[in-house]
Amino acid sequence: MDKILIIDDDEELCELVSEYLTVEGFDISSVNDGASGLAAALTGDYDMVILDVMLPKMNGFDVLRNLREQSKLPVIMLTARGDDMERIVGLEIGADDYLPKPFNPRELAARLRAILRRTAVEEGDAEASEKLDIDGIQISPASRIATCDGRELNLTSVEFELLMELLKEAGKIVKKEDLSENVLERKLSPYDRSLDMHISNLRKKLGERADGTERIKTIRSVGYIYTLV
Amino acid sequence: MKLFLKIFLWFLAAVSLVVVVLIFVTRTFQTEPMVSRFERSTRNQLTVYGGTASQIVKAEGEDGLKTFLTRLKDLEPPRQVSLVSNDGKVFFGDPVEAPEVGELTTRTMSSGQVETDFSSEERTVGAAPVNFPDGRRMVLVFQWERQAPPSLFWGSTTAYTRLAGILLTGIVLCYLLALYLTSPIRKLREATNKLADGNLETRVIPSLGRRRDEIGDLARDFNIMAERIESLITSQQRLNRDISHELRSPLARLNVALEIAKQRSNPETMPIFQRIEGESNRLNEMISRLLTLSKLETGADDVDRVRLDFAELVRDVAADAEFEAQAKGKHVEVSSADSCPVIGSENLLRSAVENVLRNAVRYTPERTIVDVSLTKENGHAILKISDHGGGVPEEELPNLFRPFYRVGEARERKTGGTGLGLAIAERAVKAHKGTITARNYNGGLQVEIGINTAKKGDA
Repeated sequence: MDKILIIDDDEELCELVSEYLTVEGFDISSVNDGASGLAAALTGDYDMVILDVMLPKMNGFDVLRNLREQSKLPVIMLTARGDDMERIVGLEIGADDYLPKPFNPRELAARLRAILRRTAVEEGDAEASEKLDIDGIQISPASRIATCDGRELNLTSVEFELLMELLKEAGKIVKKEDLSENVLERKLSPYDRSLDMHISNLRKKLGERADGTERIKTIRSVGYIYTLV
Repeated sequence: MKLFLKIFLWFLAAVSLVVVVLIFVTRTFQTEPMVSRFERSTRNQLTVYGGTASQIVKAEGEDGLKTFLTRLKDLEPPRQVSLVSNDGKVFFGDPVEAPEVGELTTRTMSSGQVETDFSSEERTVGAAPVNFPDGRRMVLVFQWERQAPPSLFWGSTTAYTRLAGILLTGIVLCYLLALYLTSPIRKLREATNKLADGNLETRVIPSLGRRRDEIGDLARDFNIMAERIESLITSQQRLNRDISHELRSPLARLNVALEIAKQRSNPETMPIFQRIEGESNRLNEMISRLLTLSKLETGADDVDRVRLDFAELVRDVAADAEFEAQAKGKHVEVSSADSCPVIGSENLLRSAVENVLRNAVRYTPERTIVDVSLTKENGHAILKISDHGGGVPEEELPNLFRPFYRVGEARERKTGGTGLGLAIAERAVKAHKGTITARNYNGGLQVEIGINTAKKGDA
């Protein structure tokens, strides 16, 4: 059973989520402040963390920042709805996904499963996937390491998958719908900007080519393309 | 007219007026006494000359008199001197040609008094009796060129220099004074503008606050006001954050509890749980829109502006709206989308277009089209979104952008709006100094958004 750690100061919410997710087949523990949340996450007992932004003692971003220094443990952030800054900052520091609060628990369970499945694929079928080496970018699915011109990219699991998908189809347009289903494991819904945000972060981490051209181009309302020179 | 120019010109006018008055005053109060003094001294001089001449002729004879008269003639200022006998014969010097001489001579001859005539502007004519020892009486006639009293500001280089000096000093002083009065007002205005733009930490600079006059008071009052506004808005923002957190926490719990209840529900109770979920979602939507609205109204969400193509944004949102509309058997059609570069916050513009468009999709009947057209018209991006939802009564049009304003109570509720979409759109457009209007058009409502397009070279 997948062990999930919830770090949220709302004890009642933690109880309810535990109850719901237990029925859905997860093993849940909860912690109510940032500092002890970080300590618990670093024990290595958990497969995944659900992290609230507003926390006593140490806020969610600091917990995530500290966690990322030592661990690649998947993290879903619970952000305030409508606060773009929180989402952007969370994804930049290395959250795997975010969910605006109040959230639908079914959505939460679905996202948890998607991320866990991805991590499982990474660990299990790693050898099966071939290494990619295109346009100065090397991706080794086995070690989950991506480098760009020899510089290691610190990618979250979503960004890693997105880059893989785009590179596999380098030079061709990859539809938003496909990226959403293959990587985020959910149907693309209108007005949902999360794919754009992940891509924009990935773009920042990759940087431009030496000649100043963008590696990943947006094809408005259709999808993205990894351009080849 | 600019205040600076006004003050400058008024003070300049005042200084000029003072100079004019000064000239007038010197004329009347200084020149007049000078003239009367001059007349008196002329008469005295003539009396002395006449008396002296009488004594000299008595003591030294006619030759002595001639010598004396010659000496008198050569004195400054230039003059004509002649000695005339009662029969009109000129005894000494050249005849004086001024017309008033004849009458003066006659008067002096008969009265034995000094007579003068100052009526002419150019000359002064005077006559003094000279009594010879033999009883004859002759008349000593003098004619001076009249020397006008020197004018302070006119007629000579020194006078002009003096005038120019006074005017120049006046101009410089007026300029400095106008600057002194208006520059703090300009600074205050800059500060007010910054404050109005949402820069709440704006205070007027301390140097203004140190002035011990009314402007200094105004500056200090401004700072007090700015502080008050800042604290009000900060506390409002804090309240918003608290509302966001405090209202959403129970809502988050409600959502989870509801889902647990659904796990355990039977087919009979399922619809009612779904109803609860729907209401909870709507509540959540309203809270986030209220927050968006209040952020827009306090200008707190005035995020960084970038250059973007409004057409791309519109097409993007239209594609999302089309996706949503299709599910309800409606369509969104972009009939034109001219490229319109604008400077703005992508999020705000997106939410403006999205809110108007979703509103249109909500009201347009099934199997109809929502038309989206973006055109560029002399420096403005004009976005028109038209539905076929029957429009609204004319008198209701201006109220559409008021928060929670409902045109048809029942209709709005049924269609599931929050009553905030158009209000948010209006605030977002206003934050870009744009315009948003609604009108009835072709059996539906048409909302028009106008935003200034970016000029070349704008950031």
